[in-house]
Amino acid sequence: MDGDVIKVPAPGVSKVIDRLLASTIGQKAIMAVTGFALVGFVFVHMAGHLQMFQGPEAYNKYAHMLQGMGGIKWGLRGLLLVGVFAHMWAGVRLMMRNMSARPDNYAVNKWLAASASAKTMRVTGPIVLFFIVYHLLHFTLLKVSSQGFEDMVYQLNGVGDVPDVYQRMVVSYQNPVLTAIYVLSVTLLGTHLAHGIQSMFQTLGLNNNTYRPAVQVASRALALIAVLGFVAVPLAILAGVIK
Amino acid sequence: MSGHGHGSGSGLNLTLKIWRQKNAGTPGGLVSYQAHGISPDMSFLEMLDIVNEQLAERGEEPVAFDHDCREGICGMCSLVINGNPHGPDSATTTCQLHMRRFKDGDVITIEPWRAKPFPVIRDLVVDRSAFDRIQAKGGFVSVNTGGTPDANATPIAKHEADLSMDAAQCIGCGACVAACKNASAMLFVGAKVSQYLHLPQGQPERYRRVLAMVAQHDAEGFGGCTNYQECEAACPKEISVRVIAEMNRDFLRATLIGTEL
Repeated sequence: MDGDVIKVPAPGVSKVIDRLLASTIGQKAIMAVTGFALVGFVFVHMAGHLQMFQGPEAYNKYAHMLQGMGGIKWGLRGLLLVGVFAHMWAGVRLMMRNMSARPDNYAVNKWLAASASAKTMRVTGPIVLFFIVYHLLHFTLLKVSSQGFEDMVYQLNGVGDVPDVYQRMVVSYQNPVLTAIYVLSVTLLGTHLAHGIQSMFQTLGLNNNTYRPAVQVASRALALIAVLGFVAVPLAILAGVIK
Repeated sequence: MSGHGHGSGSGLNLTLKIWRQKNAGTPGGLVSYQAHGISPDMSFLEMLDIVNEQLAERGEEPVAFDHDCREGICGMCSLVINGNPHGPDSATTTCQLHMRRFKDGDVITIEPWRAKPFPVIRDLVVDRSAFDRIQAKGGFVSVNTGGTPDANATPIAKHEADLSMDAAQCIGCGACVAACKNASAMLFVGAKVSQYLHLPQGQPERYRRVLAMVAQHDAEGFGGCTNYQECEAACPKEISVRVIAEMNRDFLRATLIGTEL
């Protein structure tokens, strides 16, 4: 009789990959780990971005340093790209599954506990993605909202002519429309993170009833810090504090 | 019995919108019924009994709904009442919900649990055998027969026993699935996993259990967890979502560093 033991599928290394890719918990773990990497990028990016307050010399020097990282830069860019795609892949797969698990909805459909941030994850996620693409076209590829960027160069001490990314940013966010798009997108990113960060802990099992309130508060606080850190610069430019 | 509220005409007059469906293959819909003179002391299911008696008297088909112990411990009763699984009271099964919770003239919409793995059998009765199949994959411990072990031979820390007992409160009613916007059964599976996770008796099959039960959960077509925490709010036994974190942790541990790869 083998009915009295718990049976699991046949062993094998490929089962590890199978379980991660095929199970709902595995897919969520992929979302959590990639989410962790992307949150890391958000904060590094924000810290760099706040150097706008230190003036053109410091900011252009920082940008020049990043551009000089060569292989490391491309390695990190590659990781971020993989992270974004894996996050999207797992998110879309789970969303399709979740939608098909309830084919008929309730006549009276009520929410009992979820936060606004949790409810809007599948809306804020794609919007943030669109913003990232637009933001790259704007400042990295110079394809949109970037008239005259090529001519903005800066004489960096001991280096010579470098792209004047400080000036490019100032010119861009003196435009209230661009600032509005930026502030809105970053606020939605913050909304995504307010649920996303705590969800990450829960999904990876790094949570219990003792930590839970702290994880929740920390998640929202980090999201708020990210939003404030990002919007400070364009708003300071629009207000004429940075020029 | 205090005897108040039993006089004729002093009861509640309610409009019920009840989901009627002949079987899984036939589309269903909400049908309105009037319930007159309902005593506030009645339970929700007793109210439905009265409605069914009246339907039977008129020669109409009574409303099918699940129920058994009517004491809040068996997990048979269900019903989504005005969008709330088991009705508006927290930590309360439908059978323990009383009509004093409603006001005269209220409109009450009553629907079955809705999830692809819980097909409607008839009206408000759904087939929850998906839960039985998940349970059969690992919701037990294997114990060798032999002499009766001494009751206190295996020491268990008080706080671990408490965590296990809290998870073991799950009655398998499926309110977590009904409340979840993804029709996920992660609170149910988490409770069953957590129940054994904290006990020495659960250790030998610990990793097999979580892998097998989660695999069956997914195979049944339940959704994934998005940490909305709707399940916890709806659970009549107040199972905490910490059981989901524990299940996730053990599933990942079993997958990545378990000895049964």
